[in-house]
Amino acid sequence: MNDPYETLGVAPTASAEDIQKAYRKLAKKLHPDLNPGNAEAEEKFKEIASAYGLVGDAEKRKRFDSGEIDAAGAERPPQHYYKDYASSEQDHPYADNSGFADFMDSEDAFAELLRRSARAQANRRGHDLEVRLPIEFIESIAGANKRLILPDGGTLDVDIPPGITEGQVLRLRGKGAPGSGKGGFGDALIEVEIKPDRLFTRQGDDIYLELPVTLTEAVLGARIKVPTPTGAVSMAMPKGSNTGTTLRLRGKGAPRHAGGYGDQLVKLKVMLPQEPDPELEAFVSNWEGGKTYNPREEVKP
Amino acid sequence: MKISREQFLSLSGMADEMLNAWIEEEWLIPRGSSPELSFSEIDIARARLIRELRVDFGVNDEGVGVILNLVDQLHGMRRTLRELRQEVRTTPEQD
Repeated sequence: MNDPYETLGVAPTASAEDIQKAYRKLAKKLHPDLNPGNAEAEEKFKEIASAYGLVGDAEKRKRFDSGEIDAAGAERPPQHYYKDYASSEQDHPYADNSGFADFMDSEDAFAELLRRSARAQANRRGHDLEVRLPIEFIESIAGANKRLILPDGGTLDVDIPPGITEGQVLRLRGKGAPGSGKGGFGDALIEVEIKPDRLFTRQGDDIYLELPVTLTEAVLGARIKVPTPTGAVSMAMPKGSNTGTTLRLRGKGAPRHAGGYGDQLVKLKVMLPQEPDPELEAFVSNWEGGKTYNPREEVKP
Repeated sequence: MKISREQFLSLSGMADEMLNAWIEEEWLIPRGSSPELSFSEIDIARARLIRELRVDFGVNDEGVGVILNLVDQLHGMRRTLRELRQEVRTTPEQD
């Protein structure tokens, strides 16, 4: 930083009174709130303000003159001026458009532009409110009613339509921030986030489920209960079903855009009993067929 | 951000009677009605400007009102100019 006396345009021997006078004279010219939009004035004002902060204070001036502190020590943290708020797009009670009201009264195109702009300002629509809403997988398929707590403490009831997908945005008209004048409320934009499910995954309109079955069910076939996001259904499992066999439950998937439903695909996984079973071991060791078939035909080393 | 009267006094370092006088003059326009007044950041910045005008620049009370009025008109015009610029930019050119 420059020499504070030089910045203020005074001699190092100047009296406190002269320094104050010099500062006021410059500050009146350069104050950012009296020069909104003039970045150069703001920059200069910062310099004279920190110079005055240093040599305008008797104690600090003494320490500066004796070399105890230097000019850099007087730099001030950036501050917000009135203009930073007054010029924002948000409404505030000090807004005043009377300074050009007469311009608006004429009939030319410029006046029309001004009028349009004034109307837009007076009737500005409220901001949209963006919220993320995490939901369960099952809720995403079957639909749900959720109550959201908003950042300002209010609540919002959201009707989740069945079949919604990750990242889809629901627009609730008029549930955003209030506008000004006849501007009306903004919208609430709800971005849906679907939590992963323990059982189900989704691809397009189809839902996938891996379902463990017993050896007996796999060999002999069975009618088994299968969970779906909308409740359990009964499914016929044919004789000789294998691990990886995929059975299709028609219409048990997610609702389609065009109407109707996708399918649920149930991929079977044959499970041996968890505890070793002597009877099973005895049977398998006497079972001739088990020694001759080769499931690794395709993956021969 | 909502700021209560007590918070405003401590943030701005103002005395209670002085705040009443400034509200009376409409130099400051808090939201809500007495005694449940609420302030925001713009009021803090405006109070600082008023203080600088009076203390640093030696402007008297009549002068403060005049300056605030002109400053606010200036901001109104700047805002409208900004909107007009937007309008001019987004209006397609006709040939």
